[in-house]
Amino acid sequence: MAKTYDYLFKLLLIGDSGVGKTCILFRFSEDAFNTTFISTIGIDFKIRTIELDGKKIKLQIWDTAGQERFRTITTAYYRGAMGIMLVYDITQEKSFENIKNWIRNIEENASADVEKMLLGNKCELNDKRQVSKERGEQLAIEYGIKFMETSAKASINVEEAFLTLASDIKAKTEKRMEANNPPKGSHQLKLTESRKPDSWLSRCSLL
Amino acid sequence: MTEESNFAAQIENDRNKLSVRCQFCNCLMLKANEGSYCEQEVDVPLMQQKQDRSAEALQTEKLRHFWLIKDMMTFENIGFSHTVDGRKFLVCADCERGPVGYHELASKFCYLALGRVVHGDK
Repeated sequence: MAKTYDYLFKLLLIGDSGVGKTCILFRFSEDAFNTTFISTIGIDFKIRTIELDGKKIKLQIWDTAGQERFRTITTAYYRGAMGIMLVYDITQEKSFENIKNWIRNIEENASADVEKMLLGNKCELNDKRQVSKERGEQLAIEYGIKFMETSAKASINVEEAFLTLASDIKAKTEKRMEANNPPKGSHQLKLTESRKPDSWLSRCSLL
Repeated sequence: MTEESNFAAQIENDRNKLSVRCQFCNCLMLKANEGSYCEQEVDVPLMQQKQDRSAEALQTEKLRHFWLIKDMMTFENIGFSHTVDGRKFLVCADCERGPVGYHELASKFCYLALGRVVHGDK
């Protein structure tokens, strides 16, 4: 059957335990109603479909499944990742300080051109805030990445964050395709070719 | 949920006539015509497990009517559980209720149970 989408992006959520990564992955988590069975085995990843500039994009979003407790994530988890959400909790100073360590871990393990974004989660808990928005912005500037404060609980900016990250990956992908297939004497750019979507899937032993 | 007496009406040319959605939050799981109908008898864990069960006794029911989805990327929105005995269970991507079906690691096929979802374009 013909592919019914234009792009497939693998995204990861990374950050300390307890910063709300799982809630971000599942943005309606407040309404989420885990039956005993599902909550016991846990959720591995989700597929979500979005549309950007008329292109249909499938996002496959992975949570770290508790690997972050060991303060490091294995190379296998990073394989094929095109985007990473770095998440800290604005009420936990330590989780913000650890972002630097996570970025180092990403540099050591992930592909060099992976698109990153910084998220300060739990922004609805302003009275317990330990990390100012300015510090988040500053850190993001330092690393040359985008930044948003989110609340998975209050559904603030979560969808926007994913759309932003996906949009940046899309732009990067299209730029690369353009470089590989320069238009021949035409000013019209035609980007009909989509990248081979299952290259990383076939390498993933989990699937 | 879709009643068994209503299953036949959902099938058109061996495919799902209408979109497949979560019975609780109406989240779109699969667009019309993307799944093919198949019958097989499979034990699927109940969505609600009794509180007082012992850890060993997983309550299941036999389901017979499924939509077969050969490529997981065909789904619009869906969640996958961690692996249990060569299978991942499918849940709603929004409200996480399930299982609504399962994914078989060996074949990479997904099976969505007609009786655990609703069918409709809205």
